[in-house]
Amino acid sequence: MFPVIDWSLASIETLIGLVLIFLLVVEIILPKNTQKDWIGSISFVALIGIIIFWLTQGSLNGTTFSGMFIMDPLAWFFKGIFLVSMVFIFAMTKEFFKTLGERRNEFYLLLWLALIGMCLVASSADFLVLFISIEILTISLYVMTAYLKTDRLSIEAGMKYLILGALSSGFLLYGISFIYGTTHSTHFNVIAQYCQTHALSSMTLFAMVMIFAAIGFKIAAVPFHMWVADVYQGAPTPVTALLSVGSKAAGFVALLRLFFNVFGAWHPQWSLVLAVLSAITMTYGNLVAMHQTNIKRLLGYSSIAHAGYLLMGVTAATVLGGTGINFYLLGYMFTTLAAFLVIIVFSVATKSDEIADYAGLSKRSGILSVTMLFALVSLAGLPPLAGFFGKFILLMSVVQSGYIWLALIAAVNIVISLYYYLVVAKRIYVDAPINTTPILVPAGMRLLMVIAIVGIVVVGFFQGPFFDAAMTAIKSILPI
Amino acid sequence: MITPNLSWLLILPLVGLGFVCLTPADKTCLIRRISIVSVLIPFLLSIWVYAAYDHFAGGFQFVQNIPWVTPLGISYHLGVDGINSLLLLLLGAASLAATMISCSIKDRVKEYYILLLITVIGTYGAFLSLDIFFFYFFHEVAAVPVFLMIAIWGTNSKEFAAMKLTLYLAFGAAIALIGLLALYIYGPHTFDYTQLQVLLARNPIPLNIQNWIFLGIVVGFGITLTMWPFYTWAPIGYAEAPTAISMLHAGVLKKMGAYAILRFAVGLMPQAAHTWMPIIAVLAILNIVYCGFVALTQRDLKYVLGYSSCSHMGYILLGLACFNSLGINGVVYLMFAHGIMAALAFALAGYVADQTKTRNLDELGGLLKVMPFIGTSFIMAALASAGVPGFANFVAEILVLLGAFDRYPWLTVFAVFGLVITAIYLMKAIRLGFQGPLNERFGTLKDTQTLTEKLPYVLLLALLILVGCLPSVIISHINSSTKPIIESIQ
Repeated sequence: MFPVIDWSLASIETLIGLVLIFLLVVEIILPKNTQKDWIGSISFVALIGIIIFWLTQGSLNGTTFSGMFIMDPLAWFFKGIFLVSMVFIFAMTKEFFKTLGERRNEFYLLLWLALIGMCLVASSADFLVLFISIEILTISLYVMTAYLKTDRLSIEAGMKYLILGALSSGFLLYGISFIYGTTHSTHFNVIAQYCQTHALSSMTLFAMVMIFAAIGFKIAAVPFHMWVADVYQGAPTPVTALLSVGSKAAGFVALLRLFFNVFGAWHPQWSLVLAVLSAITMTYGNLVAMHQTNIKRLLGYSSIAHAGYLLMGVTAATVLGGTGINFYLLGYMFTTLAAFLVIIVFSVATKSDEIADYAGLSKRSGILSVTMLFALVSLAGLPPLAGFFGKFILLMSVVQSGYIWLALIAAVNIVISLYYYLVVAKRIYVDAPINTTPILVPAGMRLLMVIAIVGIVVVGFFQGPFFDAAMTAIKSILPI
Repeated sequence: MITPNLSWLLILPLVGLGFVCLTPADKTCLIRRISIVSVLIPFLLSIWVYAAYDHFAGGFQFVQNIPWVTPLGISYHLGVDGINSLLLLLLGAASLAATMISCSIKDRVKEYYILLLITVIGTYGAFLSLDIFFFYFFHEVAAVPVFLMIAIWGTNSKEFAAMKLTLYLAFGAAIALIGLLALYIYGPHTFDYTQLQVLLARNPIPLNIQNWIFLGIVVGFGITLTMWPFYTWAPIGYAEAPTAISMLHAGVLKKMGAYAILRFAVGLMPQAAHTWMPIIAVLAILNIVYCGFVALTQRDLKYVLGYSSCSHMGYILLGLACFNSLGINGVVYLMFAHGIMAALAFALAGYVADQTKTRNLDELGGLLKVMPFIGTSFIMAALASAGVPGFANFVAEILVLLGAFDRYPWLTVFAVFGLVITAIYLMKAIRLGFQGPLNERFGTLKDTQTLTEKLPYVLLLALLILVGCLPSVIISHINSSTKPIIESIQ
């Protein structure tokens, strides 16, 4: 007797899967020397369709596949982040791989695969599904990171990511096996009940540390951050964007489910450890970011720092903390994508990612410099942009939980980060350009930059509806 | 009767900003006109708001309240009382003057006015907000463009100055933010100032927690207010900034710190104020005397003014520490008077530096011969700053000193001495810069030619004299609104 499967709950993943299969077939039957980017165009249309469909799915709440797959407001919220960021990443790919010819087609397919992996992470209600979906995501990222076969840095990045990624997968499985050993289940609900009725033992502690290490790798938390700078720098820029937005958000949705819900009962035992990790992560990321000369490396270290800020919300593990994480990731998505749009257009035009080459960008292209300025100011967390309100809620959540010292460390960190963001802003707006040839921005990219800026400003100023959505999402996993 | 709608003070400059953004960058003349109009109208509106405020009724008037983020108790809540309606007037006048004197900017005009307007809008928002979240929000909005404006249009070591000023202020703001968040968490879980007033008066936060929150807010906003020893960003920042930013920052933006301390620290946590303010009073004296002596040694006209501005913030802090109506009224009066005076002095110094290409007092000299109008105005500003009767500053400083004498008689001796120091360094600056033999290099320099060029200076001077001679115009407004704060504190 098979359990009844409610496909309507998994309809987003099903649609993505169907598109993926359809594109595979198209890729095979497509004439080899065609100039038109069919796969890219179909992907766009399909993605927009899925986003429209996603809008109608907000009220779903239930589990299927024997309780292994959950669709609740939290999953819905994160799937939105994944889908919208994918629109940007597809466009970046189209621009970045202009010269790559048909190899680009396979890249689109890998992106679809990564998307399905991320959506499944958001919906996992069982350690096995979580492991498989993280692997789907990570394996497609391994391939994409090393996609520039002739570029030494890209190969190096792929290698590093593969080795550390495989290690972290090992950690995750090892942790899961210990959890299974003590609780006799891989199911989140069963484990959550176990945690409520049992005290933390050395076995479960070990398992928790292993699992956190594995997810810490995904979100780039210290001390699992070693890969970040080299991979961010070496990977093709669309992949860097995916790593810093999608992959990080996927890591955090897993953390939310595990640490708010599954291990939530043991919060008093682990919260101090996370507070310390959060402080170290943000301080390390910001201090090292100050000395970077490559914009992708700088954003890599800054992404470590942002993981630190986000961990404040996990430390608190309250409604406010979770809402802060969700809201922050939403704002961070628009902000980071805006920055990467600029980086891609700039690197396609000048073949450079060095911050020194950004000197005088404001005299070469208005839209590029404005977009970058918005992204930098928002990353620094200054109002009226999206980054501010996210930091505001996160700070509020740790103050509420009594971690004033963590809030003070975060405050100092915000000032440090402001320094290096402003140095880049100064390069763009104040310094004299080395080369004064204007940079032409394709119309599509221009449109996306405007959308990203509008997103940054709207999320930053009209916080209400987004805050409510973020809060509904978190309330669905926290018992009130 | 039609009552003013406060949102227009934000929307109109925002519309102006939109027009500036849409205007092609080479139409500089049009951009200047749009910008002037978009600060002129809010200035006129703020005069209307000021005149329409009924000080007999007191309290907050023309209130607008729209829930914004309901679960957190954040609302878009605007309203004015005698304190912030006066500060709006200050901002209106200073921003109009600053925009008008910006005609000397020739490079990247469009970006300049966009950033200037954002600063002005942010400051309006901060003074109008009765919601602590939105106060903080707008206060930071005003701070963001300042970095770029100093770094692009500043002078000499502009990049260092811009970075130093921005990082100091950001640090202060971050500390203050944690204080404000703690006030929310340990208080009644709302950001609404009027509700906080009522609820905190009924059951105050326990004193041991209150003390820490108060300290965070005072130190955080104290950095904005150049409290000793956190003042070092100001002289260099003001010296290297473009004139309009020196005017706005020294005149108005800095006062947001004083405003926040008055409203959110002293006004909401009177018990903790009694713990800390006597210590703050000592720091205030250090501000007055120490920064005054430093100003004595400066050879750079703008540095003299910068240190002078830091020194005078001491009187504001001293007044806040008085716990009596004389002192607190004096503080609000001084915020206005010093704001106008500082804006005027920096505008004049900026004009001189622009014409002579130097700010070094040893190289200047005899400028009164070639610039009679600018020179005379500068002497008047200096007299005002030194507290000569007839100017607004006199009334303000007398109020503060009387209030302080009541509570800290010995400290007040030093504070009075500070006025003597002020007179010495300003007279020295006048002697070196405007009197004596004229450096032949400057023989061909021009004074302000047309009425439009003179207008910004005349406007500020007129306000200084008007308010100095008719203190009752503003003292009744101030008094009606400081009364609740003083009652809670005594």
